[in-house]
Amino acid sequence: MTQREGSLEAPQADSSVSLLPHLEAKIRQTHSLAHLLTKYAEQLLQEYVQLQGDPFGLPGFSPPRLPVAGLSAPAPSHAGLPVHERLRLDAAALAALPPLLDVVRRRQAELNPRAPRLLRRLEDAARQARALGAAVEAVLAALGAVNRGPRAEPPAAAAAAAAAAASGVFPAKVLGLRVCGLYREWLSRTEGDLGQLLPGGPA
Amino acid sequence: MPAGRRGPAAQSARRPPPLLPLLLLCVLGAPRAGSGAHTAVISPQDPTLLIGSSLQATCSVHGDPPGATAEGLYWTLNGRRLPPELSRVLNTSTLALALANLNGSRQQSGDNLVCHARDGSILAGSCLYVGLPPEKPFNISCWSKNMKDLTCRWTPGAHGETFLHTNYSLKYKLRWYGQDNTCEEYHTVGPHSCHIPKDLALFTPYEIWVEATNRLGSARSDVLTLDILDVVSTSPFPHRVGGLEDQLSVRWVSPPALKDFLFQAKYQIRYRVEDSVDWKVVDDVSNQTSCRLAGLKPGTVYFVQVRCNPFGIYGSKKAGIWSEWSHPTAASTPRSERPGPGGGACEPRGGEPSSGPVRRELKQFLGWLKKHAYCSNLSFRLYDQWRAWMQKSHKTRNQDEGILPSGRRGTARGPAR
Repeated sequence: MTQREGSLEAPQADSSVSLLPHLEAKIRQTHSLAHLLTKYAEQLLQEYVQLQGDPFGLPGFSPPRLPVAGLSAPAPSHAGLPVHERLRLDAAALAALPPLLDVVRRRQAELNPRAPRLLRRLEDAARQARALGAAVEAVLAALGAVNRGPRAEPPAAAAAAAAAAASGVFPAKVLGLRVCGLYREWLSRTEGDLGQLLPGGPA
Repeated sequence: MPAGRRGPAAQSARRPPPLLPLLLLCVLGAPRAGSGAHTAVISPQDPTLLIGSSLQATCSVHGDPPGATAEGLYWTLNGRRLPPELSRVLNTSTLALALANLNGSRQQSGDNLVCHARDGSILAGSCLYVGLPPEKPFNISCWSKNMKDLTCRWTPGAHGETFLHTNYSLKYKLRWYGQDNTCEEYHTVGPHSCHIPKDLALFTPYEIWVEATNRLGSARSDVLTLDILDVVSTSPFPHRVGGLEDQLSVRWVSPPALKDFLFQAKYQIRYRVEDSVDWKVVDDVSNQTSCRLAGLKPGTVYFVQVRCNPFGIYGSKKAGIWSEWSHPTAASTPRSERPGPGGGACEPRGGEPSSGPVRRELKQFLGWLKKHAYCSNLSFRLYDQWRAWMQKSHKTRNQDEGILPSGRRGTARGPAR
């Protein structure tokens, strides 16, 4: 059986024992993907701050951490939740990120039109967030954990972000920094949560 | 959104940002719960200014509880704190800033002017765009590789650097009718170039120009008028070089992209000794596809290039455009005891002997005759036999030795990539 997302068999099949190696392989694969994307998110953030100009790249730069409609940072209590609940929150965040990253990319296309690598990274980030979110949901489905939690409404989140971005260049730069930061935080969080499912991680 | 782009602007008088997004930001922006958070607004927002101009800005604080004070506020520009003497308190909640003789923006996304609270926290920001309007692009040159496309290049105005993002747009239209068209494939042969791949007419002139636009204004180049047939060039094409003592034989084929079209062709060959920078050009190679460079130094590696000027396509009277030089081919002249003078000209293949080079050959031939023949009567039949023998022994020598006396490997590479 190929390890493609969404194609895992239902866990209630009587071959559940034989599914475990496949599930573990799927989790391991998704964990590796999250690890790789976390590295990319670091690079995206570094390139982003460089192109906005100082003080964005300076140590100690601390703009207001304005909440982004439809997406918040992982809560301090996240680590104490059951792993299924954490993965549900991870999947929800990864689903909310792509439209926000698209908004940032469109704004950066106006502000930094001669920065094709940044624009490409932002486009790739949106695509990669979708892919990882789908993989996490496939893992959840394989674990028998249906996603019951409230989901972000991407169109509303994107509209809010777009409106905020239209209000001025500096706030748009800050918003982009916030979104790139959230992207990195949630990838790192997802990597950690998946790692706990692997053999050798905490139960 | 960027500020208005028409005409030079001192302090651009921008409309205040839309109310709804500001409300959204204010509603969303309650950064610290229960601690009396303040925000501020900088005016003007995102102004566009000429280099050397001045800026008057204000930072007005709003806050909860009301009565937020401007006491202790300060400014930074691109992360650097501005001297306090540039600021003054206008009223209890407003701090003003006066900047003079502004330099060009440090980054294209705008210089970051930030208003800080006493504790260093950021209250508001505005991005400054300081630069110059674009100058008129000039020196437009265009060429077609296959009579179906057109590539143009230009130079971006006298000074180039405007400190603002400047957009260049290549426009074209048929001279006597038709609408303006805009080229879409940019940066094909450098940063200021564009390629029109298709849908071009022949036998009728086009008008071509470049428009440069940035936040401070726009400029338009002079119009270039051309017929596609008059600007046909060709891509560099491969050639092969073979060696014979003090001669190199160069062969090529006519440009394949133009194989379906009737044209005359002029060719030029240039060559140089391997460790020299001085090219010698052979100019009068018209409508041939081979040339023999004679009078070269034996046992020497040369680099050879060829280029073509396809003129007279469909009767065009224009002088034509030279292609780029082909990739250089290296070849070595065989070793000889008698070094040549180093000069060369293109000799017709297998043609009648001309002056110096042939005389040297004949002297060598006579010396050979004394050893190998009882008859000293000269004849070209014997001469031809001798030349054939020389070529054969040259090939055998190269196979046996493969290395020239200088220690370099003599190569006559095949067609260049």
